Order: sequence, then structure tokens, then C-alpha cells
Amino acid sequence: MELRIENLSKTYSNGVKALDNVTLSIPQGMYGLLGQNGAGKSTLMRIIATLQDADSGSATIGEIDVLRDRDAVRRRLGYLPQDFGVYPRISAIDMLDHLALLKGVTNGGERKRLVEAMLNKVNLFEHRKKALASYSGGMRQRFGIAQALIGNPQLLIVDEPTAGLDPGERNRFYNLLAEVGENVIVILSTHIVEDVLELCSKMAIIHKGCVLYEGGPDAAVDALEGRIYSRKIAKAELPQFETEYKVISNKMVAGRPLIHVFSESPLDAEFAPVRPSLEDVFFAKIGGLN
Amino acid sequence: MAWKIFSFEVRYWLRGMMVWVFLVIIGAMIFGATSSDKITVGGSLENTYRNAPYVIQNFYAIMSLLTLLMTTAFVNSAAARDFQYGTNQLIFSTPLRKLDFLLGRYLGAAAVSVIPMLGISFGVILAKYMPWVDAERWGPIVWAAHVKGILVFAVPNTLFISAIVFCVAALTRSTVTSFLSSLVLLVAYTVADVMTQDLDNETMGMLLDPFGIRTFSIMTKYWTVAERNRMALGWEGMMLWNRLIWLAAGAGVFVFTVWRFTFSDRAKKGQAMPVETGSHQAVEIPAVRFAQGIGALWTQLRRLVSFEFWGLVKTTSFIVLLAAALLNAVPSIIFAAKEGYGNGSYPVTYWILEIIQGSLYLFVISMITYYSGVLVWRERDARMDEMEDTAPNPSWVRYFAKLVALLGVLSILQVLMMVTGTVVQTAYGYTRYQAGLYLSELFVYDFSMFVFFAVLAFFIHVLSPNKYVGYFGFVAFLIANGAIWAPLNVATRLVRYGSRPGYTYSDFYGHAPFMYSWWWFTAYWAVFALLLAALSSALWPRGKETSLKKRFAGFHPALRKAAIAFALLFAAIGGWLYWNTMVRNEIIGPETVLDMRADYEKTYKKFQDLPQPRVTQIQYDIEIYPERRAITLKGDQQIVNKHTAPIAEMHVLTDRAYRYDIQIDGAKVDKDDTRLQYRIYKLEPPMAPGETRRMRYTVSREPVGVENSVGGMSVVQNGTFFNNGIAPQIGYQAGGELSQRNDRRKRGLPERDRMPALERNCTAHCMNTYLSNSSDWVSVESRISTSADQIAIAPGTLLKEWTEGGRRHFHYKLDKDSMNFYSFLSARYEVAREEWNGVKTEVYYHAEHTWNVPKMMKSIQKALDYCTKNFGPYAHKQARIIEFPRVASFAQAFPGTMPYSESIGFIAKMDKPDDIDMVYYVVAHEMAHQWWAHQVIGANMQGATALSEMLAQYSALMVMEKEYGRDMMRKFLEYEMDRYLRARGRELLKERPVLTVEAEQGYIHYQKGSAVMYYLKEMIGEDAVNRALRKIVQKFAYAQAPYPTSHDLVDALREETPENLRYLVKDLFEEITLFGNRTTLAKARKLGDGKFEVTIDVETKKFKADEKGNETEVPVNDFVEIGAFAKPGKDQRYGKALYRERIQMKTGKGQYKFTVSEEPEKAGIDPFRLLIDRLPEDNLKKVTIGE
Repeated sequence: MELRIENLSKTYSNGVKALDNVTLSIPQGMYGLLGQNGAGKSTLMRIIATLQDADSGSATIGEIDVLRDRDAVRRRLGYLPQDFGVYPRISAIDMLDHLALLKGVTNGGERKRLVEAMLNKVNLFEHRKKALASYSGGMRQRFGIAQALIGNPQLLIVDEPTAGLDPGERNRFYNLLAEVGENVIVILSTHIVEDVLELCSKMAIIHKGCVLYEGGPDAAVDALEGRIYSRKIAKAELPQFETEYKVISNKMVAGRPLIHVFSESPLDAEFAPVRPSLEDVFFAKIGGLN
Repeated sequence: MAWKIFSFEVRYWLRGMMVWVFLVIIGAMIFGATSSDKITVGGSLENTYRNAPYVIQNFYAIMSLLTLLMTTAFVNSAAARDFQYGTNQLIFSTPLRKLDFLLGRYLGAAAVSVIPMLGISFGVILAKYMPWVDAERWGPIVWAAHVKGILVFAVPNTLFISAIVFCVAALTRSTVTSFLSSLVLLVAYTVADVMTQDLDNETMGMLLDPFGIRTFSIMTKYWTVAERNRMALGWEGMMLWNRLIWLAAGAGVFVFTVWRFTFSDRAKKGQAMPVETGSHQAVEIPAVRFAQGIGALWTQLRRLVSFEFWGLVKTTSFIVLLAAALLNAVPSIIFAAKEGYGNGSYPVTYWILEIIQGSLYLFVISMITYYSGVLVWRERDARMDEMEDTAPNPSWVRYFAKLVALLGVLSILQVLMMVTGTVVQTAYGYTRYQAGLYLSELFVYDFSMFVFFAVLAFFIHVLSPNKYVGYFGFVAFLIANGAIWAPLNVATRLVRYGSRPGYTYSDFYGHAPFMYSWWWFTAYWAVFALLLAALSSALWPRGKETSLKKRFAGFHPALRKAAIAFALLFAAIGGWLYWNTMVRNEIIGPETVLDMRADYEKTYKKFQDLPQPRVTQIQYDIEIYPERRAITLKGDQQIVNKHTAPIAEMHVLTDRAYRYDIQIDGAKVDKDDTRLQYRIYKLEPPMAPGETRRMRYTVSREPVGVENSVGGMSVVQNGTFFNNGIAPQIGYQAGGELSQRNDRRKRGLPERDRMPALERNCTAHCMNTYLSNSSDWVSVESRISTSADQIAIAPGTLLKEWTEGGRRHFHYKLDKDSMNFYSFLSARYEVAREEWNGVKTEVYYHAEHTWNVPKMMKSIQKALDYCTKNFGPYAHKQARIIEFPRVASFAQAFPGTMPYSESIGFIAKMDKPDDIDMVYYVVAHEMAHQWWAHQVIGANMQGATALSEMLAQYSALMVMEKEYGRDMMRKFLEYEMDRYLRARGRELLKERPVLTVEAEQGYIHYQKGSAVMYYLKEMIGEDAVNRALRKIVQKFAYAQAPYPTSHDLVDALREETPENLRYLVKDLFEEITLFGNRTTLAKARKLGDGKFEVTIDVETKKFKADEKGNETEVPVNDFVEIGAFAKPGKDQRYGKALYRERIQMKTGKGQYKFTVSEEPEKAGIDPFRLLIDRLPEDNLKKVTIGE
């Protein structure tokens, strides 16, 4: 089973073109959707999650028309929104129970066992009676994944799940995700390159509503091999380098900018050739190179 | 720093909803209470302007109690939210000074808490400009009253309450404890208020009330109406001291709070979560079934209802609103349960229901308004929408779950009300429980209205792009729906959302007459509500696509079918109702009614003095069909030209509610004004002087189909009551003219004289009584039939009764020609029958209303005793009291029959033996009318009612005196005097002396009439008064025109008054005289023999008032009593009179000494309230016993 997205477009009423003719095919397993903030990732995910309409194009999972047969999608869907709040005064267990009910677990005993197992799975059982409002960010995200996993979803959409999590929490979160992500389609949107690298066998890079790359992360890196150079420069030199070279990124290392430069031809010795990272791929793609 | 925290706190609340919701609720309450008589807040408004400074300040004072819980909500949160949300460490780690923090938060929350109270000012000011209010009852806006209301009550009370709640909240950090503390404060206040009520030391009472309510009421006790309308109480006198004391107390509490408060984290609740290290566990996720189909939806609906219900019930705002609603409704039920329609009634269920409707439903509407928004926007407000919206759960389940949750909350309120009502009834010893009535009104009739409004509110929120637009939309709709139709002159209920014909429950007929029309309109609006529900479900905002176009595009096919079906059904019922209400029946807009009355006056008033034939003899043949509410009345009457000139045209006025078929001998219709129901007949040949002709007519009515407003309530399934006014009226009837001054002015009509001016020795203007301009004394014979299970009653002796064709027939005949003014009744009656000297005395009553029947019977007979002995013979062979349904609440005397409403005398109950026995009193009054009105009737001019109503009052008082003794008459005089003094402040035009009283001035002919006649009787003696009255009877009973005037009465009384007391006649009847008597000191010394020597210092003043109430002092040279009373026994209101002496006093102060044989409790001047006193309360003073 596969999620096929074809020529999907979406323009908001304020004229922003969120998706422009996006075509993707997403197989089972973890699929990374990489893009900057505002690239259109969330719009795409919301469309698949039946929360938004597309202007044109189609999306299907197996036989199901995602854009029309929303109920069928919802029965197979687990969705962790990028940002969610909580009801005041409601505990995790009550909230999860509520969501399980909405998903169709109407047998009270079953629901109770399911909810408790889920909370156990995400390591929140101990805190199940506490108000969600008092949860830390990581706990809240784990609650989010617990609710997304209710209903054995065949399609799991997690939108920027690690934003704001500390490294430990992030790891725990990914372990959880990796465990469930083997037999179902998991779409993970993120702007953090490492996330994709660590988790995903396939990925797409989206920028300004367009797909710039679709394929394996490794293949993308390999394709860039030998064309990335790095150099430490003085701060004041940066504008000059930016005009002379195709600078794809710069970051401060020990107080001085370290720039990565894309070049088809070898550069002089001041530049050190580097093994490209996925990040380089990302920036190169965004920069319209490669 | 404190300032920063203060302003942060204020802005924090202003951004939220709660303060605005509270403001609107308070505003709506006060708006309702001032603009409508149906809604009450802290007691009813009396004779002052509805926006009098006194009223406004009183609202501010009382509202301090109601807003207590609102204040608690703000202050508690300000003090404790950091602990509750666990943000305390965040906040307290900043370098904050404790005092700054506490002061800023305390004052900020207190300032915000004052805002809802401003709703009082908004409500009062807004209400003044509503089109339906009576402009005469509104004064100018007195800004000082608003400012002083805020500064004297709102601000200090809030500061005090806030200090206490803040202290509790800051020190315990528990919301529950804070709310409990404010409840305790409230209960303690109420208890203390009751306990200190009897404090004789008013100064202590004024200082001890932390809210200044008592202070205000004591300080304004003696304010006259004019003063209440004009003056506002500031920080002055005892109020100043009271405010200073309690502000200081608040400050003390705050200082204590600062001392005890610590930033440290005592409460473990908000502790941060521990950092975890372990990885997730391998957990087996159990397999579960994902149900679909109806069963699953039903389970989801049930569970979701409970989820939404508890989510709503557990919010602070709900608890506050609920408490405020109960605080308004429960005491209303407790205190007003026995006050139905005047004083002292059984707490009957329909009255309890009226209290509930008046005191609770405003909160219900507020809750619908507020919580519909909360519920519809709940997921989005909490940002849980994306999670929930992706669940495979249809929107309509969520919609209905939320709707049902809200309705569930409201039904709990209704249950609470029903329980409260029943408990209160039981506590008052009333055990005629009418569960069916409670259930039908609270849970069907009223609840269906809640459903309509909730569905509409949901719909508006579903469509609205944000919550505030939704709120605004719904409130705007409510106001428009309530207010625009009348000014637009649209009366049909087809366009007024949720509107259904009104109804009045009666024990006689239940709701029967109304239900057919009511259910049809309910079905109409219910189908519309279903349509809205289908639309709301289909358009329910789900996901991020909120444009209506998109939502319409996604309209669920099944819901589309349902919506279309409902729309068609709605249109079909609408068409059916249109045909019923507008074609089969008619609807006349409210403005049109007034226009027609104006046109009637403009077109036909010129005929007012046109000589017309007069009715002398009538035979009725009446058929009543109670089950169909149908009636046919055939009249066959003789009309006589009693004038000296021939009559060429006859004018006949009819009632558009009935169908008429009229035949007059030798008459042809010359003009038939069907719009104004005025017909002019040409008489050919003209009626010669003295000529008699026959006039026959059939009057009929049978309700058809659905009515927009159910009319014809005089004929009902059980309890038919109508009078002969439905027959065609001969001649122009001034009673049909517009009376409201505004309505007249708007339509270009001149000011209207309420009654023609009094004339002495009049002839031409005294040819009509004030009851009729087309007849004198008439003989009446009636054949009347009704259903087999009912008794029909017509005036006179029952000659024959038989059953024929499954119906009961009766034949009555008046024994004595009487006023052409009598009633016909039919109901399933029980009858109590007795005889008094050959007169049949009868009480016809509804089987369940037995309570006062024996008393009525006794009163009839005692009145017959007194009146026959003192005034003259009784003219009829029967005297009947007949109960009728509560479509009206009065008692009225017709010849020999006295209909008496079920809602007054029949449910009256005396609480204590000392209470006024209104039933006994009223029956005696109506009986006395058999002489005063039905034998002696005044000409149609000022003073006419002095001859009827005043003398009936006097006679009733004398019957009471025979029953209770002279010393107990003060309770009656106190009652009448009090009502007179209050009502005269409400007079809009001119207060008349008794001599020229106008028929609309009930407070003069009843209340003042009682007082002046009784005082005259005290001064010249009962025999002298009755001699005069007997002369009047002898001269005028059943006499032909010209009819007597009040001059005849006053002259007769003067003749019986000794020369030296003649000034009394002038004081009492011809002028408006008031006294200012008071006792400044009352003390007693115990004498050796167990007796007491009492010394009193008294003051007396006398005033003459003009018709506008301006008073001029005149010298006193009057007979005034002094006296003393013993302490009342247990359960008694009045102590034994120990001393009573009449003294001729002069203006000014005086000291009197007298000896009594028991310990006196109170002593003073005019102790029996014989004189009309501006402030009767200060006549007596508590006696201090010394050595």
C-alpha cells in the first residue's frame, strides 16, 4: 500500500501558494518531509489528514480517494498536529479516553485497557491522572503520539514533532516512532535535517510549495559528493564570498563563520573539500543548485 | 512595581471573556428589572421613578451580594493562579517585593471586579429609552446617583470582599476554599442580618452592616417619593462611618495577608514534572474493536454528552453563574411564595412557577448565550480541534452532544427549581403538589423555548467566523427579536423566532384553551429548530476550511435531504398557520389597535351626547358549549325613548371578537363601519318620546383553528365568565378611547379628562350613572344552558333547572330591577349553600379550593347583618360568591352575584392570627356594594366612586370592627393608610380630595376612603354616620335619574356632624389633609401598685396638600389620640391596648402623662393611626422603663 499524491495544488485566499503541483509517492515506512518553515509541509499534511481541501490534484491510499472519502481516511489515520493545546483541568487518561471514543472504541472495558496500554507504551502511565496542562513539552508530544497511535493507523502523520524538545526527549520520541513505523506509512515533517537522516529511508524536500527532491537521503548525499567545500572566513568577508561563490550555508564555528560552498569544479586550497551532509543537500536544493 | 502588576492584572482580565460576560449579565438583569414588571431583582420597584437615584443606589447596594461570587472568581485567581498553574517559581524568582506583588494583584482584581457592577448603570440608562416603557414612570438621568452608587457601594464593598477572598486565596491557595469562604461570608451576612433585625439600636445596626445595605435603608427610611426621585446618598453621616469602618477592616485583612504570605512553594500541586531517564517500555497494545454504525454512534453520543457536560459544569464561570442564579431564585421563592397577588396566599404551584420564571430565566438565557459559544468553540479554543477533527466521528454526533450537554445543565436548573418549589411549599404546610403542572411548565413549555434559543445560538456560532461575532450575533438577534416587531406593528408569531401564543394556567381548565394553538406554533418552531440543527450539523466547522462556501460544498447528502425535508415541512406548517391565523382569524398589529381607538374617538366622539333610547327590560337565551368554547347569546330587549325629543338614529357599538346579528324595530342600517365596529341605524319612523321598541340580537363566538393569540378567554372548557358587556352597546362609549397620554399625543388627540367635573344640584349632567349611559334600572330574565357537568349562573333567582339533550338548562330571573351590569358564569362547581333570613347565601367554588369557603359564607352573612340593620333592606333573594379562573384577579359585585377570582380570595391564607383577613374583608366589601352601587349609584362625574367604593370600604370596616373589636382596627387602618401614602406618590396627574375622586383613583376611594370614613365615625359616632347613610339610601336607592353625587353624601354627613366638628368634613372630604405626628420620647416609671406612669413627648403638625402634592402647614386644633400598648404575645403582631385617650391638640410639642396597669411596650401619639400621617411609623416609640 502506498500513498500517491499527484499534482496537488493549494492556494490560500491571501494569495499564498502553499502547494504547487506536488506529486509524491509515499511507501510504507518512515518518510521524511523536509522543508523550511512555511514551505507547505503542514498544508500538505493537513490535506492528507482531511483537515483541508486541495484546489486540484489527487491523493490516494490504495483504493481510497483521500480528498473525497474522508471518513475512510480518518478510520486509517493517526495524526499528530504540529501544535496542539489541551483542555483545562483534564487529565491525560481522560483525554486519551475521549479521543479513543471519537476514534470508535466504544466498548468501555476495551477502551480502558487500550488507553492504559498506550500510556504505558509512551511512558506516561505514572502521570496519567495529572492534568495535561501540567505536562512538559516532551510528555505532551508523547501523549500526542499515543493518541495518534490509537486505532492501529495505517497512515501516521506527525507534523514537526520534535520542535522544542531537548535531545533526550527527542530520542525517546523517535524510538517510539521507529517502532511503529515499520508496517505503516509514517510521514514525518520536519525542518531538522538530522531527523530525516536518522529515521527515514525515503524523503522529499519541499520548498515554497514545490517538491525539489524525492528519494533516499543517502542517494541525495551521494549525488552531491565532491562538490561541497568548506572554508573558515572572517565575518567581514562574508558578503564578498557570497557574491563570488555559491555559498549554501554558513554557521559560526568558534566565533568565525564556516561557510559551505557548492562548486562543480574544484576550488583552491583555501577551501577544503568536505563529505556532503544531508544538510548540504537541503541547502543546495533550496538554493536552486544541483 | 505594584503599578505594573496592577495594570497587568487589569489588562489580563479585560482581554478575557469573564468580566464582560458578568457585566452583560448584571446589565441584563437590571435592564429587565427596570424595564419590565415581570423581572425582579431584589424586590419590586414601587412608586418611585424606575430610575430614581434611590432605586439605582439600592441596586448598587444589593448587587454587592450578588456579585460577591463574581468578585471571588477574579480575586481568587489573582491570588492563587501562580500556584495552580505551577508558574509560581517563574514569577517569584523575579526580584519582586512581596508587598508590590500582593498590592498590585489585590487592587487589580478588585478594580476588575467593580466592572460587572457598572452593568447596573448601563441597564438602567438603556432601559429608559426602550419603546415599551411607560415614560411617565421614568425621571431624568441623575448622574450623581450612579457615581454615588459606585463610590458608596460598589467600590468599598468590592474592596472589602476582595480583601477577605484574597486573604483566603493567597494563604490557602485553594480555589474551593476561596469560594467556600465567600459563601460562608454570604450566609453569615444573611444570618447576621436577620439576627440584628430586631436591634433597637439603629446606630449599631447601621454600623455593623459590612455592605452598608442596612445603613442605606435606615438612612433613607423617611425619604418621601420626591426625595427618592431626586436625592442620592453620599459619604455622609452614618454612611461615612460605616464605610470607613469596613474599609479599614478590609485594609486590616490585607495587612494580615501581607504578613502571612510567603512566596515559597507550599502547595505541591503545581510542582514540575520529574525528569525522566528511562526509555519507553515494550508494551503489548491490546486489540480493540473499532465500532461503526448506529450502536457505536449512540455510545459516542452518550459519552460525549457526559464529557461536554462535565467540562462545562466544572468551570469557575459556571459555578459562579449557577450560584448567582440560585441566589436570585431561591430566596425569591422562599420569600415570595406566600405573597402571591397581594398578601398572604397559599404557595400554589402556578405562583411558584411565576416566581421561578421571573427570577431564574434571565440566567438561563445568559447561560444559553454564553455556553453556546463556549461549547461550539471549545476544541478550537483549546487547540484540540486538529486532533479531534481527524477522528472518524461524524460532526452531528458532536453537535448533538454539545447541545444536549447544555440542555442537560439547564434541565438540572429546572429540577433544582422544582425541588426548591416543592420543599418551600411543604415547609409552608402546603401539600397540594402538582407535579404535572411543574413538569409541563418547567420541562415542556419553558424548556422548549430554551431548546429553540440554544439551537439558534449554536447555529449562529457555527456560521460565525469567530466567537465574538457569534456572541454579538446572538445577542443582537435576541434584542431584535424581542424589540422590533411591536414598533414595526407586526404581531404575527410566524416571524418572531420561537414565539408561541401565551397561556395562563388555571386550576379550572389547566392549559386547555391554549394548547391547540400553542402546540401548532411549537411544532412550527420545532421544525425550524430541526432545520437549524441539520444545517448546524452539516456546516459544523471541521478542519481548517472555514469558508461557508467550502462548507456548503461539503454538505452531507443525508443531512441535505433532512434539511430539505425540514424546510418543506416548516413552509407547510407556516402556510397552514398563515391560513389559520390570518384568513380564518385575524391579527391586528399593536399600533393598528391604537390607531383604531384613536379613529373611533375622532370619528364618533361627536355623538357622545346624542340622545339614545335606553334599555329597560331584557330576556336572554344563552347557550354555552364549554368543550368547544363556543357561545351564543340571544338578547331580546325593550328600548325606550326617555327623552323629550324623537330619536331618529341609533348608534350601536359591537366587539370585533364576536359575530352579531341585530334587529331593531323600524331600524335600517345607515352606516356600518366594520373597521371600528360602529353602526348607525336610521329609525323610521323616529322613536317618539316615551315610545318603546324591541331590539333583538344574537352574539356568538366559536374559536376556529389556530389563533395567533388565544382570545375569547371568557368562554373556556371550565370556568366561563363574561358579563353583559358583550351585547351590542347603545351609543358612543367613552371607555373605548385611548387613555395613555403618549399614545394620544402621538395621534393628535387632546388631553383627556378622566371624568366630568363634579357639579352641585345637577340635572342634565346627572342623567347617567358612571356604569352605563344607555340604561337605568332594568329587569332581566335569563335562560342559560351549558354542558351536563357544569352549573351555569345568571343574575337572580333560579326558577327552574332541567336537563335536555344532554345539557343542563337554567332559568333565572332578577327579583328587583337593577343596574344593567351583571355576569354569566359556567363551571363544574361545588356549592356551599346556607340561608340567612330567607336569603340564600351561596359560594360556588372549584372543588380543590375549599380553604376559604366557610369564611366567605360567614362574611356574606355578617355583611348582610350589618348592612340590613344600618342601611336598609337587601333587594335580592340570594347572595352568591362565585369563583372564576385567574384570567383576571379581582372580585366584583354584580346584583346578587359576586364573582371572585381563583387567584386571590380562594387561595388566600392568613399566616398569623393578627394578619388582615383579606377574604373576610373583601367579601364584606363586595356585599356592601349591594347597597353602595347596586342601590345607590353615583352620576357619571367626579366623586361617583365615593358613593360606591368608599362606602363599601366603610361598611366592610364596620363589619370587621364587629368581628375583631375597635382596638384591632389599627391593622386595617395601617394597611389602608400605607397603601394610600405610597400610591399618592405615584399619581401622575392630580390627587383629588375624596369629594371629587375620579374612577381611576382607587387609592383615594378605597384606601383614603377607609381612613377618612373611619376617623369620622370615631369622631361623630357610628350611629351618626349610619343615620346619614340611611338617609342617602332612602332618598336614592333604585331612584331614577338624576343620579346622586358626592355632594349629596358629604352634605348628609355634614348634617349629622356637630357644629364644632364640622371642620372635619372639610378636612376629610373636601381637601387633602395630612398630619405629621410623632413621638419623641416615651418613658415609664413603675409605681408601687404594679402600675406604670407613662410620660410621652409628642409633636403634631398639620398640612394641606394641593393636587400636585405641595404641602402648606396649617395650625393644628384637632382631636388626636394618645395611648400605650402592652408587649404582643407570642405569634401576635399587636399588643393589648392599655390606654387610649382623645385630646384636643395644638401645633407643636406637648407632654402627656398617664397611668397604665401593665408594663407598656410602646406608647405615643395617634397610636391607632386614625389620622392620615405622612410618616405613621414614628407615631409610637418603645417605652424605656425607669425608676
